[in-house]
Amino acid sequence: MRYLTIALSKGRLTDMAMELFEGIGIDCSELKSSTRKLILSDEKNKIKFFLAKPADVPTYVEYGAADIGIVGKDTILEEGRNLYEVLDLGFAACRMALAGPAELEGKIDELNIKRVGTKYPNIARNYFEKTRRESVEIIKLNGSVELAPLVGLAEVIVDLVESGRTLKENGLVVLDTIADISARMIVNRVSMKMENERIQKIINGIADQLKSMKR
Amino acid sequence: MSKWKIYTPDGVQDILFDECYSKRELENKIRNTFRAYGYYEVETPAIEFFDVFSSEVEHFPQESMVKFFDQKGRILVLRPDITVPVARVTATKNRDVKLPIKYSYIGNVFRFNEVGGGRQNEFTQAGVELLGDYSSESDAEIIAIAINILKTAGLESFQIDIGQVEFFKGLAEEAGFSNEDTVRISKLIDRKDIVGLAEIAGGYEMEDELRKLILKLPGLFGSIEVIKDLKKVTKNSRSIAALENIEEVIGILGDYGFSRYISVDFGMLKGLNYDTGIIFRGFTYGVGFPILSGGRYDNLTSSFGRDCPATGFSLGINMLMTALEKAQMPLEKPNVDSLICYKKANRKNAIEIAEALRKQAMNIETFVLTDEIQQGISYAVSKQIGGVIYIQDSGKITVHDIVNNMTKETSYNELLNK
Repeated sequence: MRYLTIALSKGRLTDMAMELFEGIGIDCSELKSSTRKLILSDEKNKIKFFLAKPADVPTYVEYGAADIGIVGKDTILEEGRNLYEVLDLGFAACRMALAGPAELEGKIDELNIKRVGTKYPNIARNYFEKTRRESVEIIKLNGSVELAPLVGLAEVIVDLVESGRTLKENGLVVLDTIADISARMIVNRVSMKMENERIQKIINGIADQLKSMKR
Repeated sequence: MSKWKIYTPDGVQDILFDECYSKRELENKIRNTFRAYGYYEVETPAIEFFDVFSSEVEHFPQESMVKFFDQKGRILVLRPDITVPVARVTATKNRDVKLPIKYSYIGNVFRFNEVGGGRQNEFTQAGVELLGDYSSESDAEIIAIAINILKTAGLESFQIDIGQVEFFKGLAEEAGFSNEDTVRISKLIDRKDIVGLAEIAGGYEMEDELRKLILKLPGLFGSIEVIKDLKKVTKNSRSIAALENIEEVIGILGDYGFSRYISVDFGMLKGLNYDTGIIFRGFTYGVGFPILSGGRYDNLTSSFGRDCPATGFSLGINMLMTALEKAQMPLEKPNVDSLICYKKANRKNAIEIAEALRKQAMNIETFVLTDEIQQGISYAVSKQIGGVIYIQDSGKITVHDIVNNMTKETSYNELLNK
């Protein structure tokens, strides 16, 4: 039997993903131990795991370096990779939103937005070009995006919004929701076909588990 | 000024001795398979007008094409594919040729791809196109050629996934999806994104049974048993015709003895404008991308002024080579049978022997010694040539077997098997 390789996003998704895999009988103990090994395995089920930066997970999966990946919908949208998006895991839910100063609320259609600050240049560009049919200047930032409108770097921002508290504390509001975000399971297009039975079993197992969790 | 002098541009590569040799061998095998089915080879120019590839039917993204201008300011591209030029030829130069016309080609195409995993910006495509026939036999023959090529190349485990876009188009019509939503939905189905699919389909009123079927599309792949189940629940005639077509194609492939390579996928939807029937892709272990793809495209030639059904496939030779490498297939390598060494004084003799051996279909290199024979032997060792023939004064000839480290004397006649 060949190994199936699973790429997990390093960070807040790691623990939740591990729980789901353990729930269907895949041994993640090696992953939990604080080893320095980069690739860990469950020899019984012939499954390998590795942790990667979230933005890299879709790349590993598209190229087939990993058969399965767990990653946020925000990363999938931003990376625009050609892969199967088979399961909504439901956790880490939030939304991708257009936000700006409160005085812009309800006025975005009249406003001529010129500059957009964001960590997600592709999502922002897609939203403005396809949904709003406007050309804008995208300013790529790497963190604390809320700062941009406050210091005059951009008129609006595109960013993940969870509770909206950070926005509120800085006098910003959500102007439009671009997409609902949550963790997803992605699968390489070739693996889905060549290893259909094993992958389908994992998908079904996790889907059943999610259902029972909801109840 | 010469900062880039020693580099090659992104996504292109030098293909050197061993790799080039095995690539040519592979191309020859493919070419012979094409010929065996009566698909004559054509060559179309590497440079075409931009307009050729931006028709409504097949629209290559502008940013993926390598563009430049001619002297008159017209936009040119390096061809991103060869199917479209073949359609152009069929509608123009071959306008009066009796249908069906069967083409094959092996040539380089150019796209700004993201590079890696077997993908390059310049890569060799091999393919066939069958123009002028609607029948399921043609659909099946194209797939049979594709399977035969993978087999001849030495690939053992691979899978051909067959879809039929008309099945989805029929359902979309029945459900009354707008054109825009039909495209959006097809993309979601192709990504197997059930969440997004349910969201858009939810905005339409339709019978429960139809909704269920549409929501099931992303999961409708695998064994051909799927078709039987679908026949029971499909109501519109367009989708039913699609099922009958794919069933017949699979039946014909059974006659070829190829059933074990076949699976189906009704959620495989690429370009809705371009694809008009059967579509298929080939997969193997170890390569994350399809190694070949093809299908029916009955609308393309009409954009060049001649209505004509068409089907075909193409495969990326580089991708296939990556697959063979991953499957640990031994590569065929170039070789030289013997190295003939001589000193200047014996040149005439040496050249005569070399030419005579080459006529006997041996690969022979010559080497002028300025020193002892050891000089020639060390070159032979470095190039992995197994035998050295040393032409000495007054007709003396010695043969050095490098593999077994043996030397023996021989004669002109013995050497040439006279």
